[in-house]
Amino acid sequence: MNLKWTSANSLRLSRILTIAVLVLAVGILFLIPVITQWYDDVSGREPIMPVLTVCLYISDIFAVLALWELNTLLANISKQELFTERNTKCVRVISWCCFGLAAVFAVLSFWRLLALLVAVIAAFVGLILRVVKNMLATATELREENDYTI
Amino acid sequence: MPIIVNLDVMMAKRKISAGNLAERVDITPANLSILKNNKAKAVRFSTLEALCRELDCQPGDILEFVREDKFGNE
Repeated sequence: MNLKWTSANSLRLSRILTIAVLVLAVGILFLIPVITQWYDDVSGREPIMPVLTVCLYISDIFAVLALWELNTLLANISKQELFTERNTKCVRVISWCCFGLAAVFAVLSFWRLLALLVAVIAAFVGLILRVVKNMLATATELREENDYTI
Repeated sequence: MPIIVNLDVMMAKRKISAGNLAERVDITPANLSILKNNKAKAVRFSTLEALCRELDCQPGDILEFVREDKFGNE
């Protein structure tokens, strides 16, 4: 196996990591009640298990969706399909997932203030991805125009 | 799109095949097909010049502007 640091190997590593995190995110879906119960036991503050459970379920679904789209995006890049409408859609979905996460953690911050930090970071990443999505959409348009200029 | 390419009309008038024209204009048959089927987004002056030279016509004989109504119908 070629272990040299090439762009193909880098892409392969990104896909392996994405799939690993995707599997982890799906696995966490089944463990959320256990995690929230454990958190309530060790936090020593007023229990928030129902709120935390709902928030984690919603945010985990957003995470699974974002990772799925990320995997699709990486698969398209490995097929040399870069500036396509499908890739633009992938980045747009991931961006909305970040905004969704930000909204969920903003709600959670009413109970735990630290969640506000996660909400701000998620919103910031969502914003950056929106700009990348706009750039990708423009690049797709330019590529199409170039391809159809005879 | 309101610009219509009437290449097939001129080709029929000059009795020239698509393959032959593509070879003489030095573009691929696939690109000529894009042009003929009104799928092109732009035409280079050099391509237009070669088409006019080979078909012995003016740019206006190949390109036509058709006004669209507000619903996009021609």
